[in-house]
Amino acid sequence: MTMLDIFPNWLLAHGPAFLMALPLLLAAITAILPNEKIAWFSSFAVTLICTVTAFALALNNIQNGVSVYPLGGWDPPHGIALVIDALNAPILVLIAFMAVITIIYALPATIAEVEPKKRAPFYAAFLLCMAGLLGMVVTGDAFNVFVFLEVSSIATYTLVAMGASRDRRALRAAYNYLILGSIGATFFVIGIGFLYMETGTLNMAGMARILHDLEGGSRVAKVAFGFIIVGLGLKLAMFPLHMWLPGAYAYSPTPVTTFLSSTATKAALYLLLRFIFFVFDPDFEYVASVLTYVLVTLGVVGMLFASMQAIFQIDARRMLAFSSIAQVGYMLLGIGIATTASVAAGYLHLINHAIIKGGLFLALGAMWYRFGITRISDFKGMAKMMPWTMGAFTISGFSLIGVPFTAGFVSKYQLATAAAGAGWWWAVGVIVVTSILAIFYIGQALLLAYFQDPPKIEGRTVAKNEAPLAMLVPMWMLVFASIVIGMRGGVIVDASWRAAIFLLGGGQ
Amino acid sequence: MSNTPLNNNDEIDAIHPAAKPFLFLGKQSVKQNFMWVVLAGMMICVVLGFFFPQKHPLPIEAYIPGSWAVFGFLAYSFIVLCAPLIFKVLARDENYYEEGGLPDPDYSVEHHAEEERRS
Amino acid sequence: MIDLLSFINPGLWIIIAGAICAFLPVGSLRKALVLAAPIFAAFMIYMIYPFGSEEIIAGKVNFGGIELTTLRIDKLSVVWGYLFCLAGVLNALYGLHEKCRMTDSSALIYTGAAVAGVMAGDLITLFIFWELTAISSVFLIWKGGKRAYAAGLRYLAIHVFSGVLLLAGAVMYADANGGDFAFNYIGLENPGGWLLLMAMGIKCGFPMLHMWMQDAYPKASITGTVILASFTTKFAIYALARGFPGTDILIWIGAVMTCFPVFFAVVENDLRRVLAYSLNNQLGFMVCGIGIGSTLALNGVVGQVFLHVIFKGLLFMSIGAVMYRTGTAKASELGGLFRSMPFTAVLCLIGAASIAAVPMFAAFVTKAMILAAAVEEHLYIPFLMMLFASAGVMEHSGIKVPHFTFFAHDSGRRVKEAPWNMLLAMTLAAGICIVLAFPWGGYQMLYALMPFGEAVEYHPYTVDHVVFQMQLLFAAIFAFTLLKRRGLYPAERRAEILDVDWIYRRVGVGIAKWISAMWAYVSILTKRLRNHAMQEAGRRLYQVFSPTGRLSETAPSGLPALMTAAMLVLILIIAYFVR
Repeated sequence: MTMLDIFPNWLLAHGPAFLMALPLLLAAITAILPNEKIAWFSSFAVTLICTVTAFALALNNIQNGVSVYPLGGWDPPHGIALVIDALNAPILVLIAFMAVITIIYALPATIAEVEPKKRAPFYAAFLLCMAGLLGMVVTGDAFNVFVFLEVSSIATYTLVAMGASRDRRALRAAYNYLILGSIGATFFVIGIGFLYMETGTLNMAGMARILHDLEGGSRVAKVAFGFIIVGLGLKLAMFPLHMWLPGAYAYSPTPVTTFLSSTATKAALYLLLRFIFFVFDPDFEYVASVLTYVLVTLGVVGMLFASMQAIFQIDARRMLAFSSIAQVGYMLLGIGIATTASVAAGYLHLINHAIIKGGLFLALGAMWYRFGITRISDFKGMAKMMPWTMGAFTISGFSLIGVPFTAGFVSKYQLATAAAGAGWWWAVGVIVVTSILAIFYIGQALLLAYFQDPPKIEGRTVAKNEAPLAMLVPMWMLVFASIVIGMRGGVIVDASWRAAIFLLGGGQ
Repeated sequence: MSNTPLNNNDEIDAIHPAAKPFLFLGKQSVKQNFMWVVLAGMMICVVLGFFFPQKHPLPIEAYIPGSWAVFGFLAYSFIVLCAPLIFKVLARDENYYEEGGLPDPDYSVEHHAEEERRS
Repeated sequence: MIDLLSFINPGLWIIIAGAICAFLPVGSLRKALVLAAPIFAAFMIYMIYPFGSEEIIAGKVNFGGIELTTLRIDKLSVVWGYLFCLAGVLNALYGLHEKCRMTDSSALIYTGAAVAGVMAGDLITLFIFWELTAISSVFLIWKGGKRAYAAGLRYLAIHVFSGVLLLAGAVMYADANGGDFAFNYIGLENPGGWLLLMAMGIKCGFPMLHMWMQDAYPKASITGTVILASFTTKFAIYALARGFPGTDILIWIGAVMTCFPVFFAVVENDLRRVLAYSLNNQLGFMVCGIGIGSTLALNGVVGQVFLHVIFKGLLFMSIGAVMYRTGTAKASELGGLFRSMPFTAVLCLIGAASIAAVPMFAAFVTKAMILAAAVEEHLYIPFLMMLFASAGVMEHSGIKVPHFTFFAHDSGRRVKEAPWNMLLAMTLAAGICIVLAFPWGGYQMLYALMPFGEAVEYHPYTVDHVVFQMQLLFAAIFAFTLLKRRGLYPAERRAEILDVDWIYRRVGVGIAKWISAMWAYVSILTKRLRNHAMQEAGRRLYQVFSPTGRLSETAPSGLPALMTAAMLVLILIIAYFVR
């Protein structure tokens, strides 16, 4: 009896449809629920069900391979197919899991950060966003990807704007994000259009087959490739197109920041992987040259610049936001090297970074929740004021730096070995340098927290005031996950290798 | 410090009973004349050396009567006569390395002895 | 039962006893353990390796892909095993009065490590016990009080360094031999062999590498010095005898090693330091014998090591007893002590006679073997150097030590005779020295222990040998009396005699001080310059990367949009044109 036997067959059979339909449906209902508690509870139930479903599907994928679910019984290429393969199954689990974490955390956080009458809509928008993300990952149809991309994006703009009750700058950030996100989506849909022109189908597997037969296709395919890369690049905050990100992360409500940082950019990265290695093929000359010259260059420059910028930030969340841009650089580097090992490493870092950065943002949110802290200089004495929260921040921070026995080390080490294995020794150097820069920006917060006394207010030292349990539990779940991956990350590493082998074939 | 044997009764008590028959060893005359005993022993051995020659002598050794005695005398004298020169070159003040040249009071009563001598 | 325990290195029992001692608060129980552990280990050696059996190889452990042989007893190592156990018992008796947990425990661990080390069958195990002897013995030095602290640190550093050399050499050697770490004949064919020789050379006091001995031993506690002098260097001699027999360079190293300490010993005032030089000189004979490498020479070395531990221990014990009663071991402060410590004086004289190779006393039956081997191999110059050194031994250990302590001018010190346990230990040692050199059935027992060849065909008590040895000794004593009478014998003066350690204790420290002074000077000079440069760099970085910096300027959404377009163009250009 394997773990898979626990799940009923109908769940495995209809799970893919379930994943995108259930949150979509519940989002509509949640929006009109009068009571925020009921709204929270329904959202929590939905996210939990989605997690279980995604997990079951991932297990099923490991055991039985790729499964295609024709939506409404219409077979591809005419109908829309939902596909579960080695590439998207772990991402689905990640998104659903992070949604659960965020929802648990949102219970106390929304009370502090969102106006009471907006709380039920907040949950609705959250579910909508999640539905969009799950949908764009699960679908096998290129246009459907665009639709769900827009669904999630529009929900995200709303969510970011809800931070306005905390900080009015959230509105401006949301507007910025809206404009740039729309540009990105437009570029993406233009790319899809060109691709449809070239191949005559919207089914991604079909596109891949036809492009392969055409040996890369005509100029139209090249243009389509360019548009798709830029569109997705904007969505995933590739270095010079990252400008929407710091604002959006810094001013939106904490649960939103957490969810965005650990899922939205990751879903976009997933799409990048899907298009570069699945729809297109790195064997095409133009794909290879863009990988080598654009993605790697931008990835490396982004790693260095964003890390430097993170060091000089005053606002802690902006610091983490810039760190996220730097981390995206690692993943781009892994993708750009384009060997099986490097793609596996990039994919691994994608998952690990979601967990690490989620933990950091949650910890920061808890500090804001208790003490209204946003600036790094306010970390003084935090280790005494909130020992558990600071502990979570510390371990996640170490993981971000890449200290051995943490998740960050596993993926950085894999990336470095992959780079060295491909003969890219200078890239190893860059990885080391940026890890050192990470020591600086995480270290300055840790130094203040551990080696300074808590501030005094009216002559009295600020007392210890630990975060509520509903915040600590999700935070420490992520920390625990990070340590487990660092100690014995076999499962995740295997998943990343399966994804890379699925994309590139056997290899090293 | 006198080198004459002690005849004071108090000091006699301080001497180990087993050592009392051997106090003559401290006498100046014994010390002075000890060298003749040694010389006699050496001469006897040199003479015996003629009757019992070495089984495996060095190539030139056979021509030197009492070769090991000569060698021993010269070697010993050389070592001792070198001493002043070595001392001049290598000797420094006891606290040269600044690690405390004097022994620790834990193990030593040397400083008491110094005090006693002064008083 | 015995079968079950027979794969365990007997030295480990002593180490375990040492570990227990570290936590045992009852002094008498501790002392019982200190006495019993070496006896038990010797019993275990006997059980595992009854006399005359074949080589025993056991206790194989696979450690990280390397097969370690933790127990190897053969004719060679068994001698050292029994010897170290015997020395352990004598030392335990000698230190019976001292109520010190640290001494008891580190003495036992040290003894055990030495026993285990000589029974190591491979270089990695050897390395482990090599380092353990160093680490456990340093506490004995530190028990010597505050002034021994720095010396202990230097001792530890040098020995750990020797261990590192040993490990590096072992790895290189094994690498050249297809990953075989077995500890057998090594030789100097590959560079790893040189490193191993160097490591062993440090531990057994090759010239210019010897200074740690004279630095640390005289500063250790009274019992500490006795214990220290028994094991470390003899362990190294074992390693040399196993790894480098017949290596020509050792003949000359050994010959020099016999001669140079003689000159230091004659001017040295601290008698324990004199004995340390004397120890070094004795090691020279052994190294030279190993270098000659003939059966006769190697048997001589084994016998010499066996007796040497006993009589050198006896000498250190007697001086230790004097120091215990008078508080000093300086020749200038002592003299005439036969009046108050007659037994100690007699025992010391037996030790002196033993080391000076007086017929009927210990070294006479073994040192002659090494000298005879040198003549047999026509190594006349090394032979003459060793003969010269024999006269030197007579000078510093045979005459100087007993003379200035127990005779010479009366220092006026009237102290008690040594404690009974010290006397007992010394008596036992003296007894062994006499019995094992006894012409009728004594030395034959010693020769039976010798590992090389079927039976040892050497007869020390031939008339010519006795006569010529007596010539040498009488001549030396005569020279002493003559020079003394003429006033040419230098008086003992308190001084610090410089040795090679001057290089690092004075010159090295001086250079370090100079560099730090210069560093401070330069850093003051360049402080403004550096501060300016740092500030400028910081300002530049801040201008670019900070939230108010150029990279963070809040651009209207138009700029990123333009940037997006530019990206597209860039990608298209690359996709189109770059091949």
